[in-house]
Amino acid sequence: MDESKPTLVLNHVRKSFGDFTAVSDLSLQVRPGRVFGLIGPNGAGKTTTIRMIVNITVPDSGTVELLGQRMTTALQDRIGYLPEERGLYKKMKVGEQLRFFAELKDVTGKEADARIDKWLAKLQLTDWKDKRTKELSKGMQQKVQFITAVIHDPDLLILDEPFSGLDPVNVDIMKDTILELRNANKTIILSTHQMEIAEKLCDDVCMINRSHKVLDGKLREIRRSFSRNAVALQFEGDDGLLNDPELVASMRHVGEDLEVLLGPGVSPQSLLKRLVDSGVVIRKFELVEPTLHDIFIEKVREAA
Amino acid sequence: MKKLFAVVKREYIQRVRTKFFVIATVLGPLLMAAFTVVPALLMGMKSGGPTRVVIIDQTGKVYARVAKELQTGRERPAKRETPRPTTQPAVGPGESQEQLKQAGRMTEASFVVEEVRLGDRSLEDVKKDLESRIQRHDIDGYVILPPDLLKDGRPEFRARNAADLFTKETIESSISKAVRSQRLVDAGIKEEAVQQASEPVDLKPIGETGQESKGEGSFFFVFGLGLLIYMSTLLYGQVVLGAVIEEKETRIAEILFSSMRSFPLMMGKLIGVSLVALTQMGIWGAAFLAFSAWAAGGSSITLPHVPPMVFVYFGVFFLMGYFIYSTVYAVVGSMVTTTQEGGQLAMPVVLMLVAGFFLSFNIIRSPNSSLAFWASMFPFFAPITMLVRIVTETPPLWQIVLSLVIGFATAIGLIWLASRIYRIGMLMTGKKATIPEVMRWIKQS
Repeated sequence: MDESKPTLVLNHVRKSFGDFTAVSDLSLQVRPGRVFGLIGPNGAGKTTTIRMIVNITVPDSGTVELLGQRMTTALQDRIGYLPEERGLYKKMKVGEQLRFFAELKDVTGKEADARIDKWLAKLQLTDWKDKRTKELSKGMQQKVQFITAVIHDPDLLILDEPFSGLDPVNVDIMKDTILELRNANKTIILSTHQMEIAEKLCDDVCMINRSHKVLDGKLREIRRSFSRNAVALQFEGDDGLLNDPELVASMRHVGEDLEVLLGPGVSPQSLLKRLVDSGVVIRKFELVEPTLHDIFIEKVREAA
Repeated sequence: MKKLFAVVKREYIQRVRTKFFVIATVLGPLLMAAFTVVPALLMGMKSGGPTRVVIIDQTGKVYARVAKELQTGRERPAKRETPRPTTQPAVGPGESQEQLKQAGRMTEASFVVEEVRLGDRSLEDVKKDLESRIQRHDIDGYVILPPDLLKDGRPEFRARNAADLFTKETIESSISKAVRSQRLVDAGIKEEAVQQASEPVDLKPIGETGQESKGEGSFFFVFGLGLLIYMSTLLYGQVVLGAVIEEKETRIAEILFSSMRSFPLMMGKLIGVSLVALTQMGIWGAAFLAFSAWAAGGSSITLPHVPPMVFVYFGVFFLMGYFIYSTVYAVVGSMVTTTQEGGQLAMPVVLMLVAGFFLSFNIIRSPNSSLAFWASMFPFFAPITMLVRIVTETPPLWQIVLSLVIGFATAIGLIWLASRIYRIGMLMTGKKATIPEVMRWIKQS
C-alpha cells in the first residue's frame, strides 16, 4: 500500500484569519484504500484544513494537490464531504434533496436516480424517500447527509465527526459502510476529536493541536513507538512487592485494572515471574498499548 | 453551468409549490385593489342612498335650473367618455385632481331635490322646520338661495354632514352653473344659445410624438404599477434574504461551496427566485387580460386599456430592480444570523426603494422635469421612476435605454461585489458581521 500514489498531498499549508493562525505549516499525505484520521481537540484547525482540501477556502501559502493536480473547482467533484454541522433543506423531500446534491456533483438523469435508490436501500431509508426531511429523526437525517457525500462515488471522502448523534445500531451501519468504501480502494479522511473512534477505524493518523501538526504516521507504528513498558494487572493477594521502586515506577487504577508502569530496564516477563513467585493469584496480565488519548496528551505536554 | 441550472431548478420548483406562493398569487391583486381603488371609492362613496336636499329659492327664478344641474350633473362624465370608446379614459398626469373628482362622482348617489317655498312664513320659521326634518333624518340638508343671489348674494348650505367634500362641491358648482345660465338669459341671450355655450370642451392630450398621447391610463393605473413594482421588489427581496439565511444557518452553505463557486450559486438563487416572481406576475397579467376581456364584453366595470409594451417594460424594469435589491438582500443575508437582523441591516437600502416610490408621485405630475430625468437615471430609483415616466409620457428611447444600461450595469457590479462577500459571510457563524469586517473580506477574496 505504501507504494501507491497518495490521493491527497498537502505541502506546507498555512491559513490565518486576521491575527489568528488556524493552520500553520501543515504537510501530509493521504493514500488510497486507507482511513486517515485527522485528530485533535475542538478548535485545533481540523475544519479549516478540510475546507482548504475541498476548496472552500484557499490557503495563504502552500499547496493542496488532489490526484496529482493542484486543487481546482473542477476537482471538487472528486471529493465527497460530510461536514461536521449537517445541512439539509428541511422542507425538501429526501429523494429530491439527494437528487439536487447529486446534480451539484454532476451526477444527473437515470444514473442519479439509480444511485439514490441503491444508497437509500443500503442505509435502510427507502421508506423515507418521499418524506420531508424535517420529518426524519436526527440519526436518519445524518444518514441522508452521508448519502449526499457519497452519491457521486468520490475518490476522496471526507467525514467530519460522522458518528455524532447516531445510535449504536446506526454507528455500526456507518462503520461497516466506511470500511466497505475503504476496501473498494477509496481514500477516506475521518476527522474527529473522539480518539476511541479513530483508534478503532483508522489506518493512519495525523494529530493536530492549536494549528500545529503534533504527529502523523501509521497508527500501529505510532502506538508501538509510544509503548511505555506498562502492564495492566488484576490479581488477588499481597501487593507488597509492587512497592519496590526498582521494579515499578508508578501505578494507577484504571477501572478494575491496576496499571503498572515498569521501572527502567524491567521487562514485563520479570514482573510476571516475581508476581507468580510471590504467590498471588493472577487474573489478568496484559501489556498496555498506549491509547491515542495518552499519546496525544504526551505530545502536547512535550510541545509545551 | 449545469450546477447553476440545478440551483435555479431547485429554487424555482421548491418555491412555486409552496402555500405562500399560491396565497400571494391570489391575494396580490386583491391587495393591490385594496390599496389603489378602495381609497378612491371610499372617498367618493356616500352611504345610505341619494342625498336629499331641500332648496329654498328666494329669487324665485333659479330653482328649476339648480335642480336640473344637481340631478343631471353626474351624467357628464359618462357623456365625456362616449366619443372615445376605443381608447382608454385618457386622463393625463395633470388631470389627476379631475380624475379624483370623477371617481367620486361616479360612485356618488344622486340627489333628490325638493323645493320649499316660504309662502307667508318667515325664513326663520322654515329653517326651524327644516332643522327638525334634518334631525328626524327626513332630509340630509337644505340650501338657501338668497334674493340677491343673481347679483352677489351668498347661498347657504346647511347639512348634517357639512364636511362632505363631494356633496358640497357638487352643490356649489350646480348653483354656479344655474346662476350663470340665469344671468345670461336675464341679459337677453336665448335659452338654446346658453345651453350650447355651456357645452364643456373635451381636452385632447397630445404627447411629444404629436399623436394623441396614448397608454397613459389613469392616475390610479400608473400609481398601481409603481406600487406593484415596489411591493414585489420588496417581497421577493425578502424571499432571497430568507433563502440565504436558511442556507447559512442550516450550514447547507458548506456543502454548496464544496461543490461550486459562490458566483454561480448566488446567481442561481437570484435567477430561480426571479423566475418565481415572473411566474406570479405572468399569472396576474393573464388574469388581468382575461378580466379586461370579460369586462369589455358588456359590463359596467371599465378597466384601463393596457398597451402590450407596458407589460414588457414592467417585466424589464421589475427584473432590474429585483436584481439590484435582491443582491443587496443576499449580501445582507450572508452577514447576519436572523431575518430580523437582516431586515434592520437592509433598511438603508430599502429606504432608497421607498424614496423612489415617493418620487414617482411628483413624476406622475411632471414626467418631463429634470428631477424626473435624474431620478429615472439613478439605478436605485429607476425601476419605479422610469416605469412611471414611460407609462405617463413615453420619454425618448435613449433615456429608457440609458436608464436600463445604468441599472443592469449596477446590478452586475453589485453581484460581483456580493459574491466576494457572500462566500466568507456564509461560512462565518455565530454573530453578525460588521461593516469593517466586510470591507476586509472584499479585499481578502
